[in-house]
Amino acid sequence: MNENTIIDRIKELLGEKVVEITLQRSRRIFLIVSPENLLETIRILKNDLGFYHISTISGVDRTKDFEILYHLANNQTSLTVRVSVSRENPEIQSVCEVIPGAILYERELQDMLGIKVINIPDPRPLVLPDDWQQGNYPLRKDWSYKSPEEKIPGEKQ
Amino acid sequence: MRRIKIPIGPQHPALKEPISLRMTIEGELIKDADIKLGYNHRGIEKLAESKTFIQNIYLMERICGICSHSHTTCYVQGVETLCELEVPRRGLYLRALVCELERIHSHCLWLGVAAHEAGFDSLFMYTWRDREVVMDLLETISGNRVHYAINTIGGVRRDINIAQKERILEGIQFLKKRIEYYTNLGTTEPTFVARIAGVGVLSKEKTMSLCAVGPTLRASGVASDIRKDDPYAAYSEIPFEICTADTCDVLGRVVVRVKEVIESIKIIEYIIRNLPDGEIKVKAPRKVKEGEVVSRYEAPRGENIHYIKSNGTDKPERLKVRAPTLANYPATIEMLKNCFIADIPLIFAAIDPCICCAERFVEIIDKRKGSSEILRMSDIKKRYTNKEIKRDAVWPF
Repeated sequence: MNENTIIDRIKELLGEKVVEITLQRSRRIFLIVSPENLLETIRILKNDLGFYHISTISGVDRTKDFEILYHLANNQTSLTVRVSVSRENPEIQSVCEVIPGAILYERELQDMLGIKVINIPDPRPLVLPDDWQQGNYPLRKDWSYKSPEEKIPGEKQ
Repeated sequence: MRRIKIPIGPQHPALKEPISLRMTIEGELIKDADIKLGYNHRGIEKLAESKTFIQNIYLMERICGICSHSHTTCYVQGVETLCELEVPRRGLYLRALVCELERIHSHCLWLGVAAHEAGFDSLFMYTWRDREVVMDLLETISGNRVHYAINTIGGVRRDINIAQKERILEGIQFLKKRIEYYTNLGTTEPTFVARIAGVGVLSKEKTMSLCAVGPTLRASGVASDIRKDDPYAAYSEIPFEICTADTCDVLGRVVVRVKEVIESIKIIEYIIRNLPDGEIKVKAPRKVKEGEVVSRYEAPRGENIHYIKSNGTDKPERLKVRAPTLANYPATIEMLKNCFIADIPLIFAAIDPCICCAERFVEIIDKRKGSSEILRMSDIKKRYTNKEIKRDAVWPF
């Protein structure tokens, strides 16, 4: 099955759910869907087209909104499903019930960008420390870190 | 039987890197496992947004000390796609050469650690001695043993000459003999096989649904290798086989890695004998065109993926890195369940839990209320002695 047959099959199976589908270069397909259709899309892609593997989930802060990219793969090609969520209310459905291996990436997404994942099986923070202040999301573009002034014991301040 | 929770790490004599494992055990059996990460989170993705594309090569190299070439290759081939650069064939072959040498050194290291955890220390010492041969070859090519710094955007930074070629061939001839000996030893020595067979079993379906990668996936009988599925560098021109095993246990993972070393040796021989002539790199622009790219790479530990988004300046808008080990954690948790405590180091390979020196948790059961809570030793001290623990000690002058 080459990329064009896969694209045709996706169009056929998903119908109106496809907002846009492009072939960027060989073995790189990008698919845009709306957030409410995400879970159903992933389910169809896994069951009918064999995209069983999720490589990772990337979150991008585009200032006006957040873009979430699900990098799926099967043995022939890599497919990126793209959804965007609003900045005021960043929420996305969990895909763990279809692909259980996505759990760590969803937890990382919650930590680093503050996108709330609904129905996530395990909502604990993954990479940020336990005493991290609420509401600080390091990968947002408006977040920056100022390191505290260094105190050397015994030196005059 | 009562369940007890044992924390292993983050600071632990057996752990080389900080990670915290929490094992819920019932007698000798592990009933549940949990992993806590973040002790080594350095914020590289945020940092990468403030560095130029060239500076980021060296930042990517420092993600990992063992597969440093994997991250830079994954990153530079993504940037090359964004810049629409055509890398010369000789450059691609040299990239693949360093990549395979790195795979040999990484697998030799792993084999040694696995042998050590299984109590076969002679094999550990032999493999680590032979690993020095590969490290020397890498030093001959790049000048460095760990961070090779051979990649640059548009190709590689150093060429090899005839003398170096001969040295590489000589080195891998020696390794070939040694690895054949280890294959024989690792798969037929009865005590070693008895220790690793049937440990950490994970079915093919589970491995696939938990999205494991690399040798872990291939040891469960899934023939998936990015070098074949999604060829990069020179791999579309190099003949090689995907190594799999269908035992789904630690023995299978040993077999896959040993077979892969033999394949890597064949690939290196092919590269040296068929190295094309010509340039090794092309000049790359400082600013990168606007766009996005998904770059995949088969690191020694499995699939490595970088997502790069550029905005037309000399710095990336977003750089997402997913290293293979993260993808294997959900599968590891599943493997540990219903295994013995004694199998933790084997399954976790490089991790040797010293249970008695790990920080202890105590479960306190209120008999009248029937409730129970899990407390740390330090919490109990605080609660019952009511003494504040002194923190941030002041220098005595």
